[in-house]
Amino acid sequence: MTDFDLASLITFIPAILRVTTPILLAALGVLISERAGVLNIGVEGMMLTGAFAGVVVSAATGSASLGFLAALIAGGLLGALLSFAVHVLKSDLILSGIALNMAAAAGTTLLLFMLTGDKGMSGSLSSKVLPHLTIPVIAGIPVLGTLLSGHHILTYAAFLAVPGVGLFLMRTPMGLRLRAVGENPESAAIAGINVRRVQIGALVTSGIFAGAAGAFLSMGYVSWFSQNMSAGRGFIALAAEVMGHGSASGTMLASLLLGLAEAASIALQGAGLPSELMQTVPYLVPVIALVVHARRRQRQLARA
Amino acid sequence: MIRSAFASFVITAILLVLVVGIVLVPIALSLPDPLAVLDTFVFGPFRNPRHTGNIVEMATPAMMCGLAVAVMFRAGMFNLGVEGAFFLGGLATVATVLLVPLPAFAMAPVGILVGAVVGSSVCAVPGYLRARYEASELVSSLMLNFAALFIGLFVVNYFLRDPAAGAMVSFRIPAEAKLPKLIAGTRIHLGTLIALAACGLGAVYLFMSRAGFEARIVGSNPSFAHLGLPIRSILLRSQVIGGLIAAGAGGIEMLGLYQRFSWQSLPGNGWTGVVVAILARDNPILLIPAALFLSYLQVGGDLIARNFDVPSEAVGLIQALVLVVVTAQAIMRNPRLIRLVTGKKPVASQAQDTKAVEGSVA
Repeated sequence: MTDFDLASLITFIPAILRVTTPILLAALGVLISERAGVLNIGVEGMMLTGAFAGVVVSAATGSASLGFLAALIAGGLLGALLSFAVHVLKSDLILSGIALNMAAAAGTTLLLFMLTGDKGMSGSLSSKVLPHLTIPVIAGIPVLGTLLSGHHILTYAAFLAVPGVGLFLMRTPMGLRLRAVGENPESAAIAGINVRRVQIGALVTSGIFAGAAGAFLSMGYVSWFSQNMSAGRGFIALAAEVMGHGSASGTMLASLLLGLAEAASIALQGAGLPSELMQTVPYLVPVIALVVHARRRQRQLARA
Repeated sequence: MIRSAFASFVITAILLVLVVGIVLVPIALSLPDPLAVLDTFVFGPFRNPRHTGNIVEMATPAMMCGLAVAVMFRAGMFNLGVEGAFFLGGLATVATVLLVPLPAFAMAPVGILVGAVVGSSVCAVPGYLRARYEASELVSSLMLNFAALFIGLFVVNYFLRDPAAGAMVSFRIPAEAKLPKLIAGTRIHLGTLIALAACGLGAVYLFMSRAGFEARIVGSNPSFAHLGLPIRSILLRSQVIGGLIAAGAGGIEMLGLYQRFSWQSLPGNGWTGVVVAILARDNPILLIPAALFLSYLQVGGDLIARNFDVPSEAVGLIQALVLVVVTAQAIMRNPRLIRLVTGKKPVASQAQDTKAVEGSVA
């Protein structure tokens, strides 16, 4: 990485997009839940379960798309489960999310062992991967081709989902209702909005996004599941959403920043720097970004 | 009040039995000899004094991590840095006794003290950022857990690693630094007494000291700023205390039970601490039975893992369910359930619920 010229920068961009994809997908899920007033801390566990379901179902059916579908359904079901804990059992939102993460870590290990006899890896299952997309004409153009073509299908899905989620939240009646519920549930209820139904929907949708992020982990570049393979990415997604000021585009920029940090840490490990210290970078950047953001907000408040 | 505390205790106990059953019975049924599995899980931990000792050994860090969580949660701080503080505290303690030339008698106390101070940063930094900038302590503490893990692995790899050992582990912890064993035939060590004392002191702090009282006020309603309470310093203080306890627990765990520093990932004691604290309703004295109970489940889980073909992760599922049902208002505050347990009708809601009462009695 010593000759940090434009050409190497451009080849670096696919790497950034690759590590950004699961963070962005999960962060969009967190965004939807947060705007509905039910911050989804369980996103880490939902990712892990999605990754697991994708591998198991794609290995059983031999179909990558069915595996992907299973990952989405697994995430959605866990969203419904979290909603059951919060809305029916009236448990604490944050603690239920933590419980979901614990249960996902334990449950996937338990099921993996029951299916394969191995606690750590799904190596014995021949699971499928989702494809990369080559865009016909653009792929031939020198710089633009590297930037726009040849990425993973879920990378495209994640970035296309950004305007989708943004428009949904800001420009549709349902998005307006969702934000109203998140802003002030009592007023929303008085206005005739079914608060509970909106929040259930938000958590299930959030789970589906997390399931997609999980599928990218186990069906994107690798074709296996390993114990705790989400490795805190769900928490990084949480940080990305907080850094993104609650907007879809902000969440995307924050995810890209965190993706850049992770990609850089991977690249610098290759350059001979202590890999352990480089691995701290993706976790320290959100903390610094949170402080910068909080300081700016404080100054704005002081001026007002 | 006493009646409702009694009801809450009974409901909790019934729930715990149900939760254990819900997880364990299907797993047992999937194995050739279900009854032997259940028997090993439930009674196994008491058949052998060594296994009974394991319960106490495991309850020691669980109590202290639970105390750390309780102190912070009581102040209204959702700081989840206990996990990282425990890890970093253990590492800094081992690093101190290995790298700093100390007289034998000072090794353990100085080591644990340094470990506590260094490790507490994982809770204190999010605490500071919250108090100073109002940055979410929840998110930053989750991030710093992982940062602490990798910094710790770096220190092990570059400064403490024993090249003669096959794996990435530290040099042997010197025998003089180890905490003395208390009961022959088990590995129960001095740390257990420290943990019990910490819970006692925690109760004094939270319920009898001015500082603890202030923390509870702020925790119950942060908008009490107009009372003239220095909210920021109260919040920071709670998280520094929590961090010190959790990190100290990591050091005690290392010097009490380990030969070398051998953690390759976050050990999970912090999350157990969250479950313990919630089960104990953030009450330092109740932390002791809560920690013992969860450790009993863990020992039972380890025993069935060792004797039958099932991973001990089943216990993680039980812990997760405990966390949900114990905080479930719909269960814990359910008037019908409470009435069923206490056998008395609450005066206020008597009229409207007459039918329900008849139903539950029949």
